[in-house]
Amino acid sequence: MENITLKNVLPEVFASRNDIQSEIWHKEVLLEKGKVYLVEANSGTGKSSLCSYIAGYRRDYQGIIDFDGKNICNLRIADWARLRRESLSILFQELRLFPELTAYENVSIKNGLTHFKSKKEILAWFEALGIADKVDAKVGLMSFGQQQRVAMIRALVQPFDFLLADEPISHLDERNSAVMAELMLEEARRQGAGIIVTSIGKHMDLNYDKVFKL
Amino acid sequence: MNLVWKLLRQHISKPQLAGFFFANLLGMLIVLLSLQFYNDVVPVFTQGDSFIKKEFLIVSKRISVAHSFSSSATAFKEDEIEEMKEQRFTKSVGQFCSSQYHVDASMGMAGAPSLRTELFFESVPDDFVDTDLSQWHFDPEKAVIPIILPKNYLTIYNFGFAQSRALPKLSEGVIGAIDLMIRIRGNGKEDYYKGKVIGFSTRLNTILVPEAFLKWSNAEYAPDADTAPSRLIVEVKNPTDDAIATYFKKKNYETDDDKLDAGKTTFFLKMVSGIIMSVGLLISALSFYILMLSIYLLVEKNTHKLENLLLIGYTPQRVSFPYQALTVGMNALVLLLSLLLLFWIRSYYMDMLYQIFPQMTEGSMWPAYLLGGMLFLGVSVINVWAVRQKVIAIWYRKGVRL
Repeated sequence: MENITLKNVLPEVFASRNDIQSEIWHKEVLLEKGKVYLVEANSGTGKSSLCSYIAGYRRDYQGIIDFDGKNICNLRIADWARLRRESLSILFQELRLFPELTAYENVSIKNGLTHFKSKKEILAWFEALGIADKVDAKVGLMSFGQQQRVAMIRALVQPFDFLLADEPISHLDERNSAVMAELMLEEARRQGAGIIVTSIGKHMDLNYDKVFKL
Repeated sequence: MNLVWKLLRQHISKPQLAGFFFANLLGMLIVLLSLQFYNDVVPVFTQGDSFIKKEFLIVSKRISVAHSFSSSATAFKEDEIEEMKEQRFTKSVGQFCSSQYHVDASMGMAGAPSLRTELFFESVPDDFVDTDLSQWHFDPEKAVIPIILPKNYLTIYNFGFAQSRALPKLSEGVIGAIDLMIRIRGNGKEDYYKGKVIGFSTRLNTILVPEAFLKWSNAEYAPDADTAPSRLIVEVKNPTDDAIATYFKKKNYETDDDKLDAGKTTFFLKMVSGIIMSVGLLISALSFYILMLSIYLLVEKNTHKLENLLLIGYTPQRVSFPYQALTVGMNALVLLLSLLLLFWIRSYYMDMLYQIFPQMTEGSMWPAYLLGGMLFLGVSVINVWAVRQKVIAIWYRKGVRL
C-alpha cells in the first residue's frame, strides 16, 4: 500500500455541527508511505474515531477513505485480514492485549501469522524497552506503561506499509518514550513504511514530515 | 494455533459440553438402535416361503356347526370365485383341487418299522407354486409323484413321533432322498406310485402335488366325484390391505395363512420403531440445540478476544476453527461411541433372537452406518456453518459500535 487518502471524511456524530475547525475532518488529506505524520488532538475531537476508521473496524463516517485509490468500504473480510497482516500495523490506544497470555505469547500470537521476526529479535526489543524480566509474566499483571511497550513490540512483528500508533507513549517516561520512538522509526525505515502517530498533549519526539491539528 | 486455542478455550463450560455429549450419545444410540433392531427383526416376519410366492393368501369358508355335516357348504361356488376375482385387491385366484380317491403312503426304512398312513392330495395351479417346474411335473410312464409337504409334518415327526419311539430324526435333505410308496385306490383300480418329496412349505397346510397329476388321477380313479374347491389361493396386490380383512369378514371367509398377521406385525414393528426413532431424533435435536447454545454462549463470552484476534490480522476462518474442531470432534466421538454401543447391544439381542428363531437371517448394518454417517455429517455441517456465522457477526457488529 502506497498511500492513504481521506476525502471529506467526517464522523457521523459531527455531521450536525457547523463549528468544525480541523486539518483532517472535511478536508482532503494524503498520507504517503515512508513519511512520518503526527495527528495532534484535543479530547473529544475524534482521534480514536479516525484510527478506527483507518483500521477498518468502524464505518460510522461520511466521506471516503481510500487505500491506493480504492475505497475501503468495498474491502471484504479477507482483504482486511490480509491488510492487517501484511500492510497496516496498529498500536491501539486501548492496547488490545490478551491479559491471560504472557508478554511473549502476546507478541508471538501475532508473529505466528507471518513469522516475520525471530524469537531473538523479539527478545532484543524486550531488552531494549526494559521489560526483559517480564517476558514470561502475564500481561494482566503488568502496569499500563509496561503493557504499552509489549503492544509496541507486537505492532512491530509484522510487515507493514503504515504503522498507526494511537497515543503510544501516554504512560511512558521520557527515556522509554525515546527508546520506543527509536525502535519504531528504525523498523519503519527498514520496511520503508509510513508512520501515523496520534497524541493528546505529550507526543513522541520524532522528525515529523507533517503535523495535523485534528 | 496453540496460543489461539489457549485463548479461546477460556470459558468453555465442561458441564454443558458433557450434557450435550451424553444427550447426543443417547439420541444417536436410540436412532441407530431402533433402525438396526427393525432391520434385524423384520425378516423374521416377512421371510418368504420358498415354494409359495409371497403375496398369496389361502382362503376357506369358516366352518360352523351347521356346516359340519355338509361338505358342499364349505365348497366355493362358481359365482363366489368370480366375485373374489373382481375384488380390487385381487390379482388372480386359483382353486385348490383335492383328490377324490383313497391314498395311502408308506415309508420303509432299513431296520426300522415302516410308517404307513392314509393321505389325501391337493393341488393349486402351477403358477402359484414357486419351484423348479422341471421337478414339478408328473409323468405317468415313470409313475413318480413330486410332493410338497407341510413343514409341520416334519416337525411333528421329528419332535413328536421320532422322539417318543427313539427313531432317527430326519432332515429335509434326507426326506428328499427317501422314496414314499404310494397306493391309490378308486374306480375299481389299485395302483402303486413312487412319491418324491421335493420340499417343505411353512405356508401351505396341505400335501401338494402337481395340478396335472391331480386332474389326471381324479379322472382315472374317481371320474364321477364332485370337485368343487373348498379352498382358494388368492394372489393379492398388498397383503396388508385393510379391504381384504373387511371383505373376508363380510363373506365369512377365513384365511389360515399368517400373511395378514405378518403384515400387521410388520406394520406395528414399523410404527413402534418409527416412534422410538422419532424420540431419538428429538433427543438428538435437543442436544444439538444445547451444543449450539453452549457454543454461542462461549463465543459471546469470548467476543472481546475474538474481536482482538480479528483486529491483529486473524481471519474469521482461523478463529472459528477451534470451536468448529471442538464440535465436529465431539460429534465424531458420539458417532463412534454410539456405533460401539450399538455393536454391543446388538450382539446381545441377536443371541436371544437366534435362540428363538434359529433360521433367521441377519439384517444388514449398512442402513445404521449410513444413517449415523448422515446425522454426523448433517449436524457437523450445521455446527461449522453456525460457528462461522457467529464469528462473522462479531466482525460486522464492530462496524456499527461507537
